[in-house]
Amino acid sequence: MIVNIRRYIYRYTFVMKSNFLSKVLKIVIISLLFSSCSSDLDFDQIKDLKLEPAFLANLAYFDIPANKLVDDGGNHVADDSRGFDIFKDKFFNEHLQKAELNFEIENTIDRAFLVSLQLLDANNQVLQTLTFPVPAYRGTANVIKFPTEVFENQRLDLLKKTVKIGFRVAISEGTPLNSQSLGSLKLKSSATAYLIIE
Amino acid sequence: MRKIYLIVCLIFQLSCFSQNKELLYNFTSIPQSLMVNPGADVSYKYYFGFPVLSGISANVGSSSFTAYDLFANNGVDFNQKVRNVINQSTNRDKVVTNQQLEVFSGGFRIGGRESKSYISFGLYQEFDFFMFVPKDLAILALDGNRNYIGKSFNLGDLSMKAEVLSVWHVGFHKKVNEKFVYGGRAKIYSSGANATSTKNAGYIYTGQDSGNANLYNQIISSDLELKTSGLSKFTKDEYEGNVVRDIANNTFFSGSLGLGVDAGFTYYIKKNLQLTASVVDLGFIRQSKDIETLTYKGTYQYNGVNPDFAGNDEPEDIFDEFDKAIPRDTLYNKYTTWRPTKFYSSIQYSFGEARPDDECNCRGKINTYYKNAVGAQLFAMSAPREPLVALTAFYKRSIFRKLEAKATYTFDTFSNKNIGLGLAGTLGPVNIYALFGNVLEYKDLSKASSATFQLGINFVFQDHDDE
Repeated sequence: MIVNIRRYIYRYTFVMKSNFLSKVLKIVIISLLFSSCSSDLDFDQIKDLKLEPAFLANLAYFDIPANKLVDDGGNHVADDSRGFDIFKDKFFNEHLQKAELNFEIENTIDRAFLVSLQLLDANNQVLQTLTFPVPAYRGTANVIKFPTEVFENQRLDLLKKTVKIGFRVAISEGTPLNSQSLGSLKLKSSATAYLIIE
Repeated sequence: MRKIYLIVCLIFQLSCFSQNKELLYNFTSIPQSLMVNPGADVSYKYYFGFPVLSGISANVGSSSFTAYDLFANNGVDFNQKVRNVINQSTNRDKVVTNQQLEVFSGGFRIGGRESKSYISFGLYQEFDFFMFVPKDLAILALDGNRNYIGKSFNLGDLSMKAEVLSVWHVGFHKKVNEKFVYGGRAKIYSSGANATSTKNAGYIYTGQDSGNANLYNQIISSDLELKTSGLSKFTKDEYEGNVVRDIANNTFFSGSLGLGVDAGFTYYIKKNLQLTASVVDLGFIRQSKDIETLTYKGTYQYNGVNPDFAGNDEPEDIFDEFDKAIPRDTLYNKYTTWRPTKFYSSIQYSFGEARPDDECNCRGKINTYYKNAVGAQLFAMSAPREPLVALTAFYKRSIFRKLEAKATYTFDTFSNKNIGLGLAGTLGPVNIYALFGNVLEYKDLSKASSATFQLGINFVFQDHDDE
């Protein structure tokens, strides 16, 4: 009998405690879940992601020593063309918004030059011609930094069709050059590509 | 662009969990504590987990930024936020995520009524992601190199790994005597998808050095490698399936296989002074299904176009040159990945001896227990470059005989004020637990640098002395 009563009391307290326990658990869990509020977040912002990197790279260079331009002092032209296939890259082509080309020419030859760059398309048609007049060397520093060539909109579209660059160096009349002649004609250039990726 | 979204979503939305289960560790009224120490002092006649609901856990940790920093709806331009996040991060900051879901689990005692040897088993699914913030590459993508002449962008900043796998396991633990419990667990891993790119090196440099024929000295030196398994078919154009379903299918039925072990012990130095230690996921996976390794290795000095007026025509194109110098190679070799191995240890001092008041002690056998316990835990996990380490102080209290609470204070890479709270209660055979890490930050989860939780329901059956 005593055992039964004890059992009864035990069962009763157990039930009471169980209810209490389950309530405590419920409250704790619910309060944790609901108190875990969060500031207003907007994941759609990811669509606003817009990368605007600007890449700076070498474009072209040459260094022609005077003794390789042997002539009799008259007008003549040296030329060469080189493949330039960067715009074949679809990603680069699509995202390029603007390009800037910078040219720097140093002449230490006693002759004047007209340096020109021709942007050529796949059919060898000239898309654009950039010309750079260079005066003859007179014994003083002769480095010319030409104004930045900016390519945007239609001019950029032409640039994007470029697959080849033609280089043309027209030498003006002057002192004849031979294998002993000193000096050189140097070109250095860079391109800045402004991409917008969104 | 869709790919970029995907990557960004992966990194930032899923992101955020370290694998430390400081609350679950040694919380022996929860059978799942055997998963972090197979030698935990857990006893049962038999138990089984509520299918799919027995063990749900997730961790997110980011050491340098929070979801709020990136996604707050506060009118600040998103790109500015990205920039701020990159600026405040270093290449040592990491983003870690881990998620686990128990599909089923159970256990039973072997031997007779007096036996103290137990078997436990189950299947769970796991997702792991680990990445260092690729700071230099992020700057390059955001700003380009124009304003960074003279800087060498480190390609080694790129270090990440991700894996989806399922784990079949069987464990054994035995209480040798009142002082010593040991246990071990064997695991078969089945990896549905793995991507590993942790051994990268190289740089991208643009400098203005004098004496150069060019305006700039531009060098790309690349030693990049991305190994994938179970993923290459999704990148093919002709793929027309459901990526999630296919990965799930691979994960459970046809993944790359691996083996691993867990081991651990509990030792009572005194009745109220307990030492434990365990090692979890000491194992590897042999990545062998649908494998593909991409490498870009080589050095390229970019000079631009150089005409030759002497008439020597050597037609060369920048791309061809680049491809020759740093070729993209695709290899199809099997490779082995090591699981992130976890190490835990704890020391616990118990006090406040009590008698169970809700049990009938007709036989006069009194099993006293301690109401309170305090102690310290150490956690370490292997990770690329250097292990993650955390130190935890804890206080555990039995509110009732069958309702226990545990509070933890954890120092780790992600936070130095991480307070965790956990409750585990048993009602008849039903065992429910809910453990939350970093509760201080639950008031605004979006600003939490790390968040963890573990939830589950089990049915645990014990012997009853009076039956």
